[in-house]
Amino acid sequence: MKYQTSDFRNGLKVEIDGNPYIMVYFQFVKPGKGTAFTRTKLKNMISGNVLERTYRTGETLEAAPVEDKDMMFMYDEGEFAVFMDNETFETVNIELKSIKDERPFLTENLSVQVLFYKGNPVIIDLPNFIEDEIEYCEPAVKGNTATNATKPATLMCGATVQVPLFISMGERIKVDTRTKSYASRVK
Amino acid sequence: MSNKRLSLLRSQGELIHALRSWFFEKGYTEVHTPIMVISGALEENLEALSVTEMGLYLHTSPEFAMKKRLADGMCRIYQIAHCFRGEEIGNHHSSEFRMLEWYRVGASWWDIAHEAIDLISTLYGARNKTPPNFEWISTSDLLSPTLSPEEWFFTWVDQIEPTLPPACIVYDYPHWQAALARKRQGLAERFEVYINGIELANAFDEEASSMEIRRRWRKANSIRSEQHKAPHPIDESLLQAIDKMPRCSGIALGVDRLMMLLLDEDSIQGLL
Repeated sequence: MKYQTSDFRNGLKVEIDGNPYIMVYFQFVKPGKGTAFTRTKLKNMISGNVLERTYRTGETLEAAPVEDKDMMFMYDEGEFAVFMDNETFETVNIELKSIKDERPFLTENLSVQVLFYKGNPVIIDLPNFIEDEIEYCEPAVKGNTATNATKPATLMCGATVQVPLFISMGERIKVDTRTKSYASRVK
Repeated sequence: MSNKRLSLLRSQGELIHALRSWFFEKGYTEVHTPIMVISGALEENLEALSVTEMGLYLHTSPEFAMKKRLADGMCRIYQIAHCFRGEEIGNHHSSEFRMLEWYRVGASWWDIAHEAIDLISTLYGARNKTPPNFEWISTSDLLSPTLSPEEWFFTWVDQIEPTLPPACIVYDYPHWQAALARKRQGLAERFEVYINGIELANAFDEEASSMEIRRRWRKANSIRSEQHKAPHPIDESLLQAIDKMPRCSGIALGVDRLMMLLLDEDSIQGLL
């Protein structure tokens, strides 16, 4: 299966020169007097290296032969994160360096999608939202309900996100993993 | 409506007011021209949307109609026009967008470049932002003019544009990119304004020979027919106007892109 430049979007999984890549940036560019192009940034799923490529309209990218499976995050073991298949209880290891952007949001027993390329687990897709408890933040400012003034908060899972001033330590919050930002309080 | 959206809409209204004041002070007259036209474009890479029931097109820019006003005897004119272009969609592209164009009789592209810098700086000032410091860049210092158009544009988009200084006036374009600009010594007498790597405006020292424009229109149409695209109709009334039009320069500036920069947005989507 081939993707046209009009199919380009973040998260697209493609294969270039026998390596699997995930699209992390795309921008349509058409010079006023010229033809159309799409600038992209593609992250190698195995090495994590980012490739910058510009494609002409009409060029295509090959879809990467990847399969995904729902698995549960267990724990870190050395340089790997360990995930378990919810049905077969089989476990797989993924190198931490391949998931360094996602790892801070992995809460214990979180269900994620593990991507397999040619049978090997390579990267994960986080759910759009996670919930976790705030391990540390500055004390709440009572009555300040503005959402544009923020302070940093460290979650139990290790991630740091900006939260509104009225949030206190020990509260559970919902985080949007796509924007890596505070979504709401969990009551 | 969210507070953010309301403030975006209000700020845009204030900026348009500041923009109109700038033109008023410089002695420019605001004009309004038809959006439905007999020919939408001259250039091979522009796609005009058609109004099939009428046998007309939506203009891709108000350039043709404004040149007819210059031929009628107007000397300093500007317009903020909604323009339409097919096959353009993205953070910095939209099928419908706002274009600011102004034309000045007796001006060179150099004069227009200084006006553009002054206008942009005024609008940055209106937002209490530090105006950009413009650098001047010749394309012929960066890219060989002997590259084919395809290679030229690929290298421009892939290598040059992402590394341009924060604000610059780019000039010395190859002659085959003249569009409706004069040519001199193998180069087109035109410039573009870039801010943060985004193409913001394009200006011409306007070509004033209808024979030359007709030749370019036919050339663009022959390129289009090789690409199995419909030709752009030749607007005979524009060719007549070009022969009557005095020596002048003009510029087209993407209003949505400028608003995006002034209001610290990362996309033009949602500004209109």
